[in-house]
Amino acid sequence: MNSISAEIICAVATPEGTSALSVIRVSGKGSLELLENIMSLEKNRLKGMRRAVGRISEEGRIVDEAVAVSWPEGRSFTGEEMVEITCHGIPKSIRKIMEILIRNGARRAEPGEFTRRALANGRLNAVQIIALAALWDMEKDRKVFIGETEESCRELLNDIERARETVEGIIEFGETHLDGDDENISSVFNELIASAKYFTRKASYIEKISRVMIMGPTNSGKSTLFNELTGKNGALVSDEPGTTRDGSTSYLELSGRRIQLCDTAGTDGHGLDRTASEAVIEGLDGTERVIWMSVGGKISPPDGLRKRAGEIIEIAAKSDLIDEKEIEQLLNISSVSGEGLEELKKILSRVPGSMSLSGAAERIEESIKESHNFISSQEYDIAAELLREAEIESRRIVGKGENIQLSVERALAGMCVGK
Amino acid sequence: MKDEWDVIVIGGGHAGIEAALAARRKGCSVVLISATINRIGEMSCNPAIGGIAKGTIVREIDALDGSMARSADATTLHFRMLNRRKGPAVWGPRVQSDAAEYASVQQLYIENSGVEILEDEVTSLDGLTEKVTGVRCRKTGSIKGKTVVLAVGTFLKGRLFRGDELWKGGRIGDISADSLEKDIVKRMFHVERFKTGTPPRIIRSTVNTEEMEVQPSEVTDFTFSYGKSRQRDKEEVCYITHTNRSTMDIAKKNLHRSPLMAGRIEGTGPRYCPSYEDKVVKFPDRQRHRIYVEPMGCESGFFYLNGLSSSLPREAQEKMVRSLPGFGSAEISDYGYAVEYSYFHFSEIDDTLRLKKTENVFVAGQICGTSGYEEAAGLGVIAGANAGRTAQSLEAMSLSRMNSYIGVMIDDIVNKGADEPYRMFSSRAENRLHLRQDNADRRLYKTADMFGILSGEKRDLLTGNMKEAEIIRNVLEREMVDGVPLSKWCRRVGVSAEKAIAATNSLVDKDEKVLMSVILDEKYSGYIDRNLRRYESRRNLEKISLREIGSFMDIDEICWEAREVLERRKPETLAHAEKLAGVRPTDLQGLLIYLGRQRSTWNNSSPELVRSE
Repeated sequence: MNSISAEIICAVATPEGTSALSVIRVSGKGSLELLENIMSLEKNRLKGMRRAVGRISEEGRIVDEAVAVSWPEGRSFTGEEMVEITCHGIPKSIRKIMEILIRNGARRAEPGEFTRRALANGRLNAVQIIALAALWDMEKDRKVFIGETEESCRELLNDIERARETVEGIIEFGETHLDGDDENISSVFNELIASAKYFTRKASYIEKISRVMIMGPTNSGKSTLFNELTGKNGALVSDEPGTTRDGSTSYLELSGRRIQLCDTAGTDGHGLDRTASEAVIEGLDGTERVIWMSVGGKISPPDGLRKRAGEIIEIAAKSDLIDEKEIEQLLNISSVSGEGLEELKKILSRVPGSMSLSGAAERIEESIKESHNFISSQEYDIAAELLREAEIESRRIVGKGENIQLSVERALAGMCVGK
Repeated sequence: MKDEWDVIVIGGGHAGIEAALAARRKGCSVVLISATINRIGEMSCNPAIGGIAKGTIVREIDALDGSMARSADATTLHFRMLNRRKGPAVWGPRVQSDAAEYASVQQLYIENSGVEILEDEVTSLDGLTEKVTGVRCRKTGSIKGKTVVLAVGTFLKGRLFRGDELWKGGRIGDISADSLEKDIVKRMFHVERFKTGTPPRIIRSTVNTEEMEVQPSEVTDFTFSYGKSRQRDKEEVCYITHTNRSTMDIAKKNLHRSPLMAGRIEGTGPRYCPSYEDKVVKFPDRQRHRIYVEPMGCESGFFYLNGLSSSLPREAQEKMVRSLPGFGSAEISDYGYAVEYSYFHFSEIDDTLRLKKTENVFVAGQICGTSGYEEAAGLGVIAGANAGRTAQSLEAMSLSRMNSYIGVMIDDIVNKGADEPYRMFSSRAENRLHLRQDNADRRLYKTADMFGILSGEKRDLLTGNMKEAEIIRNVLEREMVDGVPLSKWCRRVGVSAEKAIAATNSLVDKDEKVLMSVILDEKYSGYIDRNLRRYESRRNLEKISLREIGSFMDIDEICWEAREVLERRKPETLAHAEKLAGVRPTDLQGLLIYLGRQRSTWNNSSPELVRSE
């Protein structure tokens, strides 16, 4: 058995959405130690084939209580050190756990990477392969990519290649053969950053339409906020079929992200209102975000809501009426003065990080921006490295192979140099 | 003459010298055969060593205990660290050397090393191609050797061109190894033709340098060698001038007389080192090209015109030179010319630089399809060391592209080949942030030691540096700045090595060069680790063979586009498949599934996809 990769990979093994339990798999040398660390287990607790219960916490706050099951090298699915974390099936906490894993040295697995490692290590037997193949056939039918988004990634890749040509040209010949040819570098980067942002937006757009519910006690300004977001300031895309404009659902687009916004009845109402409000809470599947608003932020969301919502954004409404901003950490909103609205929009347009495509898009955008910073501090070497990483990532997305030498060859071919 | 030598080196250029010295350090008896022994170590083209990536190769050669770095240090006239404001990973040390002094210093190294020098022309290899017994020389006859290193540069059927003039030779004033080329072709080796060229040399006293921009030397304590060598006192400046409209017009008017344009040269020339007339054709809109005016030596009466390589007729070259500012009444001492020569196709060479058809012939330098002194010398060390190892019945070794530019170069030329003379660029190395000029000693120590080509003195020096580096690394991990260890703090945007050193006072007693180098290791470590991991996972995919797949078109598990690409390219391993455009990660998984299915129907046991090593 030759155990292979040094890299630790992680992935959620169960389907997206809310469920009682969910499983995250971690594989690669060092996985056991990584889990011992983030679950605050004593050293070597997971050594061998073990099972341990622990709390995954971050900055003192408990994210989830989970069970870790470990396999030693040579005896796991992939043949490497491996851990399966069984945690609660709440999308938000799954996302958090993934983030913690990544921050501590793992990286998100590529599609099929667990299987690939298992095969490379000679770990799969015939039965397992046939079972996997059946799954694979189902998977094949699922279309992930949509034309326009793919196109935007291809354009981004072109721009990355162009930027690399410029930067590599400056590194190889800037000193000896170029007379101030590097002035266009900032315009190259400006265009590049713009197309990276565009792709990030496209990627998150196709991956998920985010549902946002506005909730709170009566007369806290929910409908006003709804109108504010959809009518005056939000770009109205279309009405939900079958509902009327004065109804309670609207689609809007914020920074390229599609959002379905729902206004709801007050949670403290009576009779029909109360029934409606309870039905809304019952209907939440854990992926929605809830804007919870009350005057001055004085009323907290009910426990039932906390349990069912994906994320709660608490708002202190009618801030123009409140003299003292008593609860500092809440977002203060006033529809009259317009205070806080922009910030709320920013929060709403934020992309959840666990999506594969938008996650990759964000990483590309981040690398490019960072690269630009390094150019500004005259660290072209690191800037070029970050661009290369961005290129590898975007090539993976559009399936162009990793032969990235080409762009550099082209860059140098265009240079007029020599003795 | 000995009855049988361990290693016979053919050629006394930059590759041949390093090959002979490396084999000698390995403890072998070595004879170096050159057609003109007083030209051993000559700088046939520009009087300069180093540059971006090339300068790093020179330092790698020193880490392998070669001579190029020390000789360059000893003969420096002018020094510049290129790319100082682009980040330390792409710094490129470059010197102007006194060309004549350089050759004599190199000759001295050879003489003192105990390498036997023989002036003769090698006309053929001796014995069976599978295992040669030595070489045959024109005057001396047969010379027996356990191994042979071919380092004949541009001499294999060398043809020189200038305008309508054509003559035989590997370089002006030298012979062409026509008989040897015939023998090589007869032995069914696949050779092809490349071309390169050189600019005219100018009589210094006929040039008015006042009309040119001065480029002074940097004052520095830099040395290429990690040893105790010192740079010679720098006594020269370089000048910069530019071509203009009329230079271009002259070239255009004479284009039809260029041997290349007239179709008399078939070989491909270096794209990155084109002749001036090439540039005029390729960049018709650009009237101004920069020309570096470089002194050939300290007391030399000649200038080298870097940027004006040409094989146009003499009178055209003269007019072109005189159109340059400061060159109005310049006299040419040697006219530029082009040379066309044979080299071994990449499929003939393995990654230890052995010719695959033979057990004991190694190659280095331009006959591998490269260009440049530094590239040649780098290959020379490895070919010489491996010839030595083979003569001693030890296994030949190869370098990793993760650890050195020499490794990148060998990997590139033996696996990808080149459609033009291969010049090293920093951007060819995916692990560039690691392959720096400051850390070649530590990067290559293990390799050099395994090769067994370090002298005792060099080894002591290098292990000393390694120990110092370890101590420094511990300090960096201990010292806190802004609440984080210095080793992490230095990774931030805009934090230079100098800044990091200034942030603490517990490093004052450390060796400054090693200190800077270790800090840079830390600064770049995140990126370097990622590259190594990427490289490792690529190697894992290499273990999965696709050779048993008859037709990719029938594989339902992958998309049509990928099937077509795979069918056309027939990759041998999964790693190869991954590199192909049109093959996505999901297709790779599909391939695996397919392979697994096949195996399970072939035999009902566990599939063994991994090729045993």
